[in-house]
Amino acid sequence: MQDFAQEFMTALSLILSGDSELLNIVFLSLKVSLLAVFFGALVGMPLGAALAVGRFPGRRALIVLVNALMGLPPVVVGLCVYLMLSRSGPLGVLQLLYTPTAMIIAQFVLVTPIIAALTRQTVESLDAEYTEQLRSLGLSRLASVPVLLWDGRIALLTAFLAGFGRAIAEVGAVIIVGGNINHVTRVMTTTIALETSKGNLSLALALGVILIAIAIAVNAAVSLLARGAAPQRGELSHA
Amino acid sequence: MTTEHNTQPVIEAANLDLTFQTNDGPVHALKDVNLTIDKGDFVSFIGPSGCGKTTFLRCIAALETPTGGTLSVNGMTPDEARRKRAYGYVFQAAGLYPWRTIAKNIKLPLEIMGYSKAEQDERVSKVLELVDLAGFGGKFPWQLSGGMQQRASIARALAFDADILLMDEPFGALDEIVRDHLNEQLLHLWDRTNKTIGFVTHSIPEAVYLSTKIVVMSPRPGRITDVIESPLPRERPLDIRDSKEFIEIAHRVRDGLRAGHSYDD
Ligand SMILES: Nc1ncnc2c1ncn2[C@@H]1O[C@H](COP(=O)(O)OP(=O)(O)O)[C@@H](O)[C@H]1O
Ligand SMILES: [Mg+2]
Repeated sequence: MQDFAQEFMTALSLILSGDSELLNIVFLSLKVSLLAVFFGALVGMPLGAALAVGRFPGRRALIVLVNALMGLPPVVVGLCVYLMLSRSGPLGVLQLLYTPTAMIIAQFVLVTPIIAALTRQTVESLDAEYTEQLRSLGLSRLASVPVLLWDGRIALLTAFLAGFGRAIAEVGAVIIVGGNINHVTRVMTTTIALETSKGNLSLALALGVILIAIAIAVNAAVSLLARGAAPQRGELSHA
Repeated sequence: MTTEHNTQPVIEAANLDLTFQTNDGPVHALKDVNLTIDKGDFVSFIGPSGCGKTTFLRCIAALETPTGGTLSVNGMTPDEARRKRAYGYVFQAAGLYPWRTIAKNIKLPLEIMGYSKAEQDERVSKVLELVDLAGFGGKFPWQLSGGMQQRASIARALAFDADILLMDEPFGALDEIVRDHLNEQLLHLWDRTNKTIGFVTHSIPEAVYLSTKIVVMSPRPGRITDVIESPLPRERPLDIRDSKEFIEIAHRVRDGLRAGHSYDD
């Protein structure tokens, strides 16, 4: 118990003193996850919107697939991306394995289905309410999509945050494709795993505290936004 | 060729049919409907529920596709007219969006049609005044009574300059006094703008008070049983409802509704 209290105090002082190793790890984590979610949104939101308003063969199957991919185990994603990027893999020539780019790719694969599925739900429920009104105003199906996206912007932001929450807390995929190399590919979650196994609890604890703070901030933002999205009724609160 | 401003057909339906295929077999929502609506007409549709009033309005607005006959709007197909933004449609349910304020709900068409910010604000306050909701622009729909929501939804359809205003039982949920007032307002608006109005109602006095043309409909199959051209002048004070002509038209509408009913059972 004595030990734990001591480790915890050291952890806090690491955070408060702005320890440079700690900060580097936190910044890399944020950079990797934010970029992954950014690209995930770039692909996932149009895909989700298309699944919501489009009428094409295979749409139902694609929706089931995207929903299923939301629950992908990160280690499996890591393994697949590893196989793609490894020297003998199809993308081996790019030499991306064990770089932050590889980690961004892996997290991108993880968060894109989440963002696509949440976007689809949002746009589909809005579409049900807006479709006749917008049609009577002369809009085509395609032209109504921007209106739906704009009126669903808060719910879409929560989809983005949900993706970010998943990415920043994930360890299985980034540890496989990133390799947890000191100063290169070490992020918060992978450092916690490594340092804990080495017995260096103070650094692990410090990162744990920061990770929890981020998780709480993201969840608070999501619930605040969800409240603003649909006052009183909550049609849009997927959070 | 001369353009006679008041007798140019805006809507022409000829032998119009619409049959819905349902699990319980076909439903003949409209059968052999023939109707001509001229520019500036105020046309009321009256009849028991299920006689196809909503369906006919939806066909005009290209929200439903007829299964037979022809229907033209301004000499185009209904869908072409829709894409040219010919319609302001007030749906049977108010259909306001809960995450938008009343003012923002009314702005939706204006945003879509690219009005400037200043003009949007100007139009919103104008139509809010028109439906007696001045000062309620900042409220959310759920903060208003059902009748006020319905008025807001009417304001939304009035905010932009559609030639044809289609209203599906817009005053059904309102009490008598408010209804009288809105009826008067609607007549003023119609008089000033020369819009063509299609109006669904269950109320005989309302239909007679408002309309230049009253279309009496009957169900199973949905069809038109009588079309009454009103002899009442365009200028109509509320007490015109006590006049002999008014009462005569009301009688004819009532007889038409009764005759339609006797086809049942
Ligand atoms: N989408 C639909 N599918 C099947 N039947 C419909 C549909 N819309 C309307 N109907 C039927 O068509 C008939 C006319 O309906 P409607 O136009 O709503 O009547 P009204 O507005 O005069 O009450 C009714 O019998 C109704 O049940
Ligand atoms: Mg109806």
